[in-house]
Amino acid sequence: MNTFGRSRLRALAAASVLALGLAGCGTDSAGPDPIKIGASLPLTGQFSQPGQAALRGYQTWEAMTNERGGLLGRPVKLIYKDDASQQNIIVADYNALISRDKVDLLIGSYSSLLNLPASAIAERNRMLFVEPAGGSPKMFKRGFRYLFYSQQATADKTGLAYANWVAGLPANIRPKTAAYPTIDDPFAAPSVEAIREVLEKAGVTTVYSETYAPDTRNFDTITNAMKAANPDLVVHGASFEDGVGMIRSMLRAGFRPHWLYQTTAPSLGQQYADAIGPANTEGVAFAISHTPEANTPGNAEFVAKYQEMFGEPPPEDAADGFAAGQMIAAAVKGVGRIDQTALADWLRNHTVSTVLGDLSWDDDGRPEGEFLIGQWINGEARIILPKQYATAEQPVLGWQPMGAKS
Amino acid sequence: MTQFAQNVVLGLLLGGVYALVASGLTLIFGVMKVINIAHGAFLVLASFIGYTLWSALGIDPLLGILVTSPIIFAAGWLTYKVAVEPIRTAPMTSTVLLTFGLALVLEGAMGAIWGNNSTSITPSYAEESFSVAGLFLPKVDVYGLLVAIVVLGALALILTKTWLGRAIRAAAVNSTGAELVGIKVSSVAALVFALGIGAAGAGGAIIGVLYPFVPGSHYLWIARLLAIVVLGGMGSLNGAVLGAVLFGLAETLTAAYISPSWATAVPYLVVFAVLLIRPQGLLGSHLRQDSVTA
Repeated sequence: MNTFGRSRLRALAAASVLALGLAGCGTDSAGPDPIKIGASLPLTGQFSQPGQAALRGYQTWEAMTNERGGLLGRPVKLIYKDDASQQNIIVADYNALISRDKVDLLIGSYSSLLNLPASAIAERNRMLFVEPAGGSPKMFKRGFRYLFYSQQATADKTGLAYANWVAGLPANIRPKTAAYPTIDDPFAAPSVEAIREVLEKAGVTTVYSETYAPDTRNFDTITNAMKAANPDLVVHGASFEDGVGMIRSMLRAGFRPHWLYQTTAPSLGQQYADAIGPANTEGVAFAISHTPEANTPGNAEFVAKYQEMFGEPPPEDAADGFAAGQMIAAAVKGVGRIDQTALADWLRNHTVSTVLGDLSWDDDGRPEGEFLIGQWINGEARIILPKQYATAEQPVLGWQPMGAKS
Repeated sequence: MTQFAQNVVLGLLLGGVYALVASGLTLIFGVMKVINIAHGAFLVLASFIGYTLWSALGIDPLLGILVTSPIIFAAGWLTYKVAVEPIRTAPMTSTVLLTFGLALVLEGAMGAIWGNNSTSITPSYAEESFSVAGLFLPKVDVYGLLVAIVVLGALALILTKTWLGRAIRAAAVNSTGAELVGIKVSSVAALVFALGIGAAGAGGAIIGVLYPFVPGSHYLWIARLLAIVVLGGMGSLNGAVLGAVLFGLAETLTAAYISPSWATAVPYLVVFAVLLIRPQGLLGSHLRQDSVTA
């Protein structure tokens, strides 16, 4: 390196040190120390789609909370890490957030798969752990005292409204047979199992039921087997990529069951429509916790702020993340200090108004509300059940893909 | 019987796609003894480039191979010159670590450029199939098989019918001997690395149409590809094709007749079983290891 280069490097280093020093002074003079809230999220890897959305939900909550004066007179500061959708990384991340970053509060990750080990770290350290996703019933059978879920219901209850609706259809249009392909995932599997139980009791015969590994990418064989079984209804326990992959495979095979329900993928809005083709979405039903149009407390402000920050309406996972922040804020305000045990006790004994509606929990942190059922109608995700929250006048009777040619 | 025939056809088509994406990996190992862990990342990079060509410029993803492959070829050549060449003769563990690092860098770069959201390439024929004798043949799989035949045929021709091919084979068998007869092994290695990565470029376009992808998808691919080339015999192009077809069939038939939950595990068990009997893989051979030490 020449002399000029070295001089420039020294000047840059000096400027950097000065800037860091000034930044440090700035923090001191800005007011009270922030309340640090730590999260690890799947920003890359298998769950990056919802993980990114959850992060944006957290960031929206952080911005809105600080605009309103913070918590306990202190600003809130989100500290987050990327767990790359890996269980081993998330364990290291939450340990680092607690021991190295010394966060005041924790907030959860995305998916039951990742929150299972993450919540155990929080429980061992006796820290409140509000998770925006992770509705597997197993999560709440471990006797944890600091774990709470920021959606309306656990996985086994997410599709019940749909199952009961299908079971109650007039006999001439009610499906007589059903197939249940399911990803090996602690959220999807119990959701599908509960739907199957209701439908079998209603006389809907199961003609196919298989679980596939999470890293499955080729669905042609599963589709071929379902096509041979010829079910009227397919209930697919899916995350995002496999949900998209399965539908595209079904279209390639010329397999179009009359009814189609997927647990998660269709709730990811435009990304889902783009992935399978907007014309193929018509009539796909799914469980969902939130819509931008919902008339819930603070939802309009949340949607407007999210739109301002990210230039699009919030997807469901962002709203779930925002609701997790609202729960933490409500507990901190209710208790008046950051006392982890008191915060958990407060949540256990109170109802919190969130953008998902009013949420309350049993002793194990299990939510006690009712999930929404959505359906793609005319290129938009609409709510069809429960009727009091419906944003569509009538459900579409069946899956009507229009874009596929075979 | 129709069901069985359908599953076999699907397995063979899947194997064709696997062969296309595994060929470059085995070629690179055969000549350079470099296990390129970044191969899956280059594959996904090709998918993203194919996506951009399709979504921004309206170029069909299969025609886009004519653009994607040269770009990826150039990226491979550059990568070799900048990162791999300095440690080419280092122990294999060094190149494994280096290419793993490369994969992470590529993943980060793809995330920064295209984002970490799931991406799909959906041309009009992506959900269409050919119908033959009551069986459905997904068009993209068939096109993938055709591209695989073209790419593998071209690689085979280059290796067996050209002076470059002779130089490559000479460098693969005995690099010191090749140097002695006037072959510039470092140039051959750069070309082979670029050719191998370029083949991944063609595969990436097909994969991008078949399955949704994110920057992190390369982890899934590299695991499969390594298993395929180990099964076929590291460094053997014919072995990679055989390994890919067997792997595709094993995945498909396991999903159909055992359980889909075992479909990703059983092929690896087959690899273990084969290696117990033939440690060099199905078509691999034991080469004399010249020990030239300073």
